[in-house]
Amino acid sequence: MARMEDFLAATGLTKSFDSVQVVDSVSFTVRSQEIFGLLGPNGAGKTTTIRMLSTVLDPDDGDVTIGGHLVAKESDAVRKLIGVCPQELALYPELSAIDNLVFFGRMAGLSGSEAKESAADVLERVGLTDRAKDAVRKYSGGMKRRVNIAIALMSRPQLLFLDEPTVGIDPQSRNHIFDTVLALRDEGMTVLYTTHYMEEADRLCDRIAIMDEGRIIALGTPAELKAQVGDADTTTLEEVFLSLTGRSLRD
Amino acid sequence: MGRPTLLALFEVKRFLADRGALAFSIALPIVLFALMVGVFGGDTSFNSTAHVADLDGGEAARELIERIEDVDGLDVRLYTEAGLNDALDRSAVLTGFVIPAGFTGALESGTPAAVRVKRRGNGGDAGQITAAIVQGAADGLASEYELRRALGVLVSEAIPPEQVEAHTGVLLGDARRNPPVRVVTQTLDEQAEEENILDRLLPGVIVMFLLFSVTLNAQTLIEERRNGTLERLLTTQLTTGQLFAGKFLAGVSRGMLQTIVLLVLAFVVLRIAGPAALAQSAVLALVVSAAASAIALVIATAARTEDQATWGAVFITMFMTVFGGTFFPIGDSGVLELLSRFTLNRYAIDAYEGILGETATLGDATFEMALLGGVAVVCLIVARALFRVSSEAK
Repeated sequence: MARMEDFLAATGLTKSFDSVQVVDSVSFTVRSQEIFGLLGPNGAGKTTTIRMLSTVLDPDDGDVTIGGHLVAKESDAVRKLIGVCPQELALYPELSAIDNLVFFGRMAGLSGSEAKESAADVLERVGLTDRAKDAVRKYSGGMKRRVNIAIALMSRPQLLFLDEPTVGIDPQSRNHIFDTVLALRDEGMTVLYTTHYMEEADRLCDRIAIMDEGRIIALGTPAELKAQVGDADTTTLEEVFLSLTGRSLRD
Repeated sequence: MGRPTLLALFEVKRFLADRGALAFSIALPIVLFALMVGVFGGDTSFNSTAHVADLDGGEAARELIERIEDVDGLDVRLYTEAGLNDALDRSAVLTGFVIPAGFTGALESGTPAAVRVKRRGNGGDAGQITAAIVQGAADGLASEYELRRALGVLVSEAIPPEQVEAHTGVLLGDARRNPPVRVVTQTLDEQAEEENILDRLLPGVIVMFLLFSVTLNAQTLIEERRNGTLERLLTTQLTTGQLFAGKFLAGVSRGMLQTIVLLVLAFVVLRIAGPAALAQSAVLALVVSAAASAIALVIATAARTEDQATWGAVFITMFMTVFGGTFFPIGDSGVLELLSRFTLNRYAIDAYEGILGETATLGDATFEMALLGGVAVVCLIVARALFRVSSEAK
C-alpha cells in the first residue's frame, strides 16, 4: 500500500522474456520530490523495470501506482504525469533540437504554442539555446544526451525517468546534467535515476535500490547502504555495490 | 489536428530534411526519366525551315515554293535577298536558297536555270537535308517544264498548245497524287507504333520509385524501433493505434509528394496530357501510395532486423518492377502475364497509362483502383496485427 508521500509504488513486479525471468517480484516506492537511484550490473533488470513503470511494457505480475493512478488501468493518466529519458538517444538526428522538442511536446498533448514555449524553456535549462536550430546529428555526444533529457522535460512531468542519462559523455556535460537533475528535484520534481556510475548515484540520489538478477537486494540512503558493509564515512558506494553483487563479470 | 496527422506531417518534414532520401526518391527518378526521354522520347521526324529569297516572282518560282511547303515537317520563310544575306551574316540562318530573277523564263524556254544555295560552313544537318529536298523539288519541277516544252514542240502542228498544256497538266497532277514510285515507312512492332512510349515510361518510373520507397519506409520504421523513438512515443499521449495510423499516413504522404513532384514536372516540361489528367492521376496516386505504404508496414512489422526489412522490401519491389510490365507491355497471356497479376505495378501502370494517355478516365480505372485499395486494406489489417514498437513492448 502506497503512503501518501509515495509518488510511485511498485509491488511484486515480475516480467519474463522467453521463459527467462528478467524482473522478479520487485517492490519499492519512490517518494515525492526525491531522486531515487536504481543501480545494478548489466542485465540486472533496471531498464525492464523502468519500461514497466513508464507504461511501455505490461508486467506479467504485480502492480504499479503513479500519482495515485494504477498504471495497468489508467495509463493515459499516468502518461500525463511522467517524462521518460531512455538509455538510447531516442530522437531524430536529421532534424533540429527545437523540431524534436516541439514534436514530442505535441505528442505529449501540448498545443503548438505551448510546445514552442516549453521547448525554449527546456533548451535554456540544458544549455542548448544557441544551437536550437542546428540538426541534432551535428551535436556532440554530450549535447545529444542533453536533448534526450530535454525531450523528457517537455510536458513538465511530475515524475522523471532517467535511464543511464550520462553514458559516454564528457565530465562537463555530465556535471551539467547533475546540476539540472538536482535543480529539477529542488523545483519539486520526482526523479527515478538508473546508472552504472556509483559516484554519480552517491552524489545525486536521496535513496538507492540495488538490483541484481531481477531482484532488489538492497534499498536505503547511500549512508545506510554503506553502513551495511562498513564504516559509512569511509566506505564507498562502489564497495557496497561490489560487496552485494559480487565481482564476477556480467554481460 | 489529430496526433496521427501531426505525426505524418512530422515524418514528411523528416523526409524533406533527409537529403539522401530526397535524392533517391525524387532526384533519381527525375534523372532516370530525363534519360529515358532522351533515349526513347521526343519527336524524331524532321522539322526545319527553308529560308528562301524569291527574286524571280514568276509562276515556276511560286510553284517551287509551294512544293517545298508541301513537304512534311518543312516550312518556308521568305526573305528579300538583302534580308537573307543579313541573316546568313548573323548566323541566324545557316542555309538559304535564292531563286534568281529569270528562273521561270529559263524553265519555260529550256535554258539552264539554277537555285542558288548559300550556307555558312556546312550549313548544318538540317540545312543539308533541306537543300536535298529543295534540289529534289527543283529537279521535279524542271522535268515537268521540260516535258511540257518537248510535248508542245512535238505536237504543236496538230494540236493547239493550250490543249497540250491542259492534258499534260492533268497527267502530271495524277502522277503527283499517285506517284509511280513511293517510299513507305513501316514502324516495327505495331503496338509500339500506336502508343506514345512516354505514356508508359512515366507511370513505370513513378510506380517503380514509389515501390523503392517502400524499402526506405520499412527501414526507417525498423531503425526507429531500434533507437527507441517508437517506444518513447508510447510514453506520451500517443496510443499504439495512433502511432500505427500516423506511420501509415506518413508513408502515404511521402508517396504522394514524390509522385506529385514527378507528375507536375512531366506535365510542365513534357506537356503530357492536360490538367484534368493531372488531377485524376493525383487521385490515383493517393490509392497507389496507400497500397505501397501498407506494404511497407507489413514488411517493417514482420521483419525483426533492418537487414530482414531491406532484403524483404528489395525482393518484393524488384519482383513487382520486373514482372509488373514497368517498361514494356506484358501481353495478354503467358507466364509473364500470370506473374504480373501479383504485382501492384501492373494495375497502377495500366491505370496511369490510360489517364496520362488520355485514352481513359479515373472511372475506367475502377477495377485497378479497387484492387489497389483492397491491397492497402488487407496489408493494413495484417500490419496492425503484427505492429509492435519493440520486440517486447505492447
